[in-house]
Amino acid sequence: MSDQQQLVTIEIDGIPLQAERGAPLIDVADAAGITIPRFCYHKKLSVAANCRMCLVEVERVPKPLPACSTPVNDGMRVHTRSPMVLAAQKAVMEFLLINHPLDCPICDQGGECELQDVSMAFGGDVSRFRERKRVVRNKNLGPLVATDMTRCIHCTRCVRFGEEIAGERELGLIGRGENAEIGTFIEKTLTSELSGNIIDLCPVGALTSKPFRYLARTWEIQQFPGVAPHDAVGSNIYIHVKGDRVMRVVPRENEAVNEVWISDRDRFSYQGLYSEDRLQAPMIKQEGRWQSVDWETALIAAAAGLQHVVQNDGPDAIGALASPSATLEEFYLLQKVARGLGCHNVDHRLLAQDFRDQAHAPLFPWLGQSLAELGKADVILLVGSNCRKEQPLINHRIRQAVRRGARIFVLNPIDYPFNYPLTKRLIANPKEMITHLAGIAKALNPKDPSAEAIGIPPNASPKEVEREIAEALRTGARCVILLGDIATAHPQAAHLRTLSAYIADHSESTLGTLTMGTNGAGAWIAGALPHRKAAGQNLETPGLDADTMIAQGRKGYVLLGVEPEIDCANSHLAAEAMINAEFVVSLTAYRTRPMEDYADILLPIALFAENTGTFVNAAGSWQSFASAVTPPGETRPAWKILRVLANLLDLNGFDYMDATQIRDELQVLVQNADSPEKKDRWRPEKLGEKVAEKTNDKQQLTRIGDMPIHAVDPLVRRAASLQKTPDAGEGVIRINSKLAGLLGIWEGESASAVQDGIEKTLPVVIDERVPDQCAWLPAGIPSSMGLGLRFGSIEISR
Amino acid sequence: MPENILSEHAQAEIDRWIAKYPPEQKRSALLAALREVQHENHGYLTVESMDAVAAYLDLPPIAVYEVASFYSMLETEPVGRHSVSVCTNISCLLRGAEEIVEHVEKKLGVKTGETTLDGRIFLKREEECLAACCGAPMMMVDHKYHEDLTPEKIDEILENLA
Amino acid sequence: MYYRIRHYVKSFSLWELLKGLNLTGHYLFAEKFTVRYPEEKAPQSPRFRGQHALRRYPDGEERCIACKLCEAVCPALAITIESGVREDGSRRTTRYDIDLVKCIFCGFCQEACPVDAIVESPIYEYFGNQRDDLLMTKERLLAVGETWQKKIDGNLAQDSKYR
Repeated sequence: MSDQQQLVTIEIDGIPLQAERGAPLIDVADAAGITIPRFCYHKKLSVAANCRMCLVEVERVPKPLPACSTPVNDGMRVHTRSPMVLAAQKAVMEFLLINHPLDCPICDQGGECELQDVSMAFGGDVSRFRERKRVVRNKNLGPLVATDMTRCIHCTRCVRFGEEIAGERELGLIGRGENAEIGTFIEKTLTSELSGNIIDLCPVGALTSKPFRYLARTWEIQQFPGVAPHDAVGSNIYIHVKGDRVMRVVPRENEAVNEVWISDRDRFSYQGLYSEDRLQAPMIKQEGRWQSVDWETALIAAAAGLQHVVQNDGPDAIGALASPSATLEEFYLLQKVARGLGCHNVDHRLLAQDFRDQAHAPLFPWLGQSLAELGKADVILLVGSNCRKEQPLINHRIRQAVRRGARIFVLNPIDYPFNYPLTKRLIANPKEMITHLAGIAKALNPKDPSAEAIGIPPNASPKEVEREIAEALRTGARCVILLGDIATAHPQAAHLRTLSAYIADHSESTLGTLTMGTNGAGAWIAGALPHRKAAGQNLETPGLDADTMIAQGRKGYVLLGVEPEIDCANSHLAAEAMINAEFVVSLTAYRTRPMEDYADILLPIALFAENTGTFVNAAGSWQSFASAVTPPGETRPAWKILRVLANLLDLNGFDYMDATQIRDELQVLVQNADSPEKKDRWRPEKLGEKVAEKTNDKQQLTRIGDMPIHAVDPLVRRAASLQKTPDAGEGVIRINSKLAGLLGIWEGESASAVQDGIEKTLPVVIDERVPDQCAWLPAGIPSSMGLGLRFGSIEISR
Repeated sequence: MPENILSEHAQAEIDRWIAKYPPEQKRSALLAALREVQHENHGYLTVESMDAVAAYLDLPPIAVYEVASFYSMLETEPVGRHSVSVCTNISCLLRGAEEIVEHVEKKLGVKTGETTLDGRIFLKREEECLAACCGAPMMMVDHKYHEDLTPEKIDEILENLA
Repeated sequence: MYYRIRHYVKSFSLWELLKGLNLTGHYLFAEKFTVRYPEEKAPQSPRFRGQHALRRYPDGEERCIACKLCEAVCPALAITIESGVREDGSRRTTRYDIDLVKCIFCGFCQEACPVDAIVESPIYEYFGNQRDDLLMTKERLLAVGETWQKKIDGNLAQDSKYR
């Protein structure tokens, strides 16, 4: 290692530079601001050195060398603009342009094309090539990436990306010589959740964005920094705007967060901004008919409605539900308004069912480490997480760890595909996940007398795999246990957390939570919780959690960016609770059919690119962003709506001029918070008994209702291109062949699924990844809407 | 499972090749595996058989497609029973390979890259140097070299193919 | 003294008047160059830069490919283009507006066009009763191109060797 870090002195174009021995010459030149043209080299990918564009002259070397694959050495003297280099660059450009069509005017890359730029700077000005150029048939790579393969210069960045970053080689270099082309060989849609990044990587116009195709030129676009609104990473993005309309989203480099990548969900979800059902103006239901009204009327009506409920049934009759992807400021104001009314029924944990340990929770659940540290872990145990699709960029960090030699173990209800090898996997019925975790805990510390208190049965005998996982966690240097979305939504989530915390304690591992939505961490900090005020101040008498608010029903509801019939743990009950409520005011970006039925007032809110606010990611960093475009029609940012609503309700302390003031106020609260036990993560706690779900004796099937990647929030559900990808989630019931045999159902037949007395008839697919006695039926998609608990019991019959 | 496509003999043959390389470099056996599978499948590779090889060697399918499309001795489309390839590289060219190709094309009634209608003979695209320059012009018929070609000699060779 | 005498002589001999009459008389008998517009029209260069037109290929396909170079080069920001994918997958404009009120007739759009789609036609006789009339939409530009096709093609052919 010491050799690696040794500094050497080299000279580029007469400028003396210090560099690490062995660093690629091109990196050293880049750091010093010396331009070396390149196509195939990318700092995050392996070196291919096949484009030959970065040739430089090194003294005492007879031939030019490619700067990307030449390590620096002491005393090296490099020239990047010598006659030899200029001649080499010009010749390479001429070769590259032999088969590249000169169709820049119709090419979407025109204006941001590396080949165009480098050709202008380093190429010749006339073509000597008079022969026919080759033509390559375009490939259909699915709804996200458009291809013009004739333009390809075979830099193979996309191929290396597939192998090294996406972890799934989908593109390859087919054929050889003049017949070589990039493709999939067989007709195939890209399935990687990071596939959009090849659009940015492609130096020419061969791979471009399909939804953005031909819509705008780079010089017409204004670029605004933003933060992506879908996962716990909070990827940094640039929002590209033309004429007050978001045209596309591209990654903004931030080594600590998303490096240079973003997921397809973050890249293409902007399409949802322009969905047809976007609410344009405030609306009020008068005698069963919806009418557009002005803001004043709508807000006065909302305030009056809420006050009416408070006067008749007390403040406890109101329930406030917020999407976990709302901003920090919105959470803070929502809970402040609710608490101003005397109501503590505020929650953002819409998918959770088990809240027993909430009083012992840390200030906010988080990853327990920085994202970069996660990439250096040695052993990772994933509990209840389809990480690849839930948190694509956290999964990318785990993959980085695997490439360094980390061992990965998973405990999941479905044998999800991962893009790295798993050392061992435990696939179990959701109910058995607890048994397995208890087994691991037992194997770690077989003779702990206190173990029984936290729910580890004294007679548990760990299985072989459980012992192996325990051993790996005990012996590994940097071990991490991650609780995913399925663990959070699990009916016994608190039990899973406690056992995981116990395991973490006894194996000196880091316990991390993959927070819900974009701003799950922010919601805890801002106090969008029934049992805590902002900055983690515990309440003596907590309000009702999200599940109870739905199960018991409230007289009045305030919804913030929520479609309860899809976003809540129990779709059926949520819809019923809304319909039975006297008064529902919904701050929503979209006008939906169910909402028209149950809501009384619809207030249009701004979405991510139109909003100003702050997201706190899973690693705990506060990332603020400003609006890039004006919200459509009469739409307003939710924080402004809540501020005015508070004023109309005669509440004090809502004189904010802008969103920054709200954030600053909260920041001061957090800094001054004197939580005596400043816990940074969950600890093993003794839990009370959870009331078991009423189950039908006839059949004990468990539904596994995970959320498909493109169904997690209202915005992405309306992104048309993403909904055409294979990841969109199919409305089918998946069961394994054993269960299918028992039920007498064949593949492709339709079966009826019954939950809470609601029946849905859907096609059946036999899938051996599903454990025994389980039916995999995703939530968040139209075909499963109206069914009951996502991880509850279900009846399947022909 | 896709492995079932591979015959027992093919699996044994692939295993023999895998054993020659370090265990983490199973992909080194790919070329030998494809050659064997192609041999068993009438001289060409189907997508299914390539997928089977990929699964057997723990490779992404695209890595197998890349190799199969790269090498001229691996075919990915159905071909005739006998494969004929005429060298047209420099030595053969100087010794009249162009006329040889023309003669073969006329004789078989197909162009290079095509198979005769009866499925008997597949005329490959012009082959690059087969390292038999001393006997130029030459051609390879079913892995067998025929050197110092004349039109008469070609007629005789082609007519003797079943 | 000399100047004063010269001044009187010139004044009394009506010298300046005669000089003026001489000029008038000269033009009275010289060849006339007044053009009796609108009956007569002044000659026009093939490079004349008049009202814009969008051209089509002989098979009727519109030439414009929505590269937006004319929009980018326009110094008066008179051109507005929106583009998209046409049904056949080709890149086409969905909107192509030239605001003639803004246009300074510099001809840069014509220079920038890689497919000779936008040209400045020989038309200079046009007017608008209201501002809208001077906003040339894609349909109107194409219509101008169709009506004046022969003339425009002729002009372009004449000028082609200098371009």
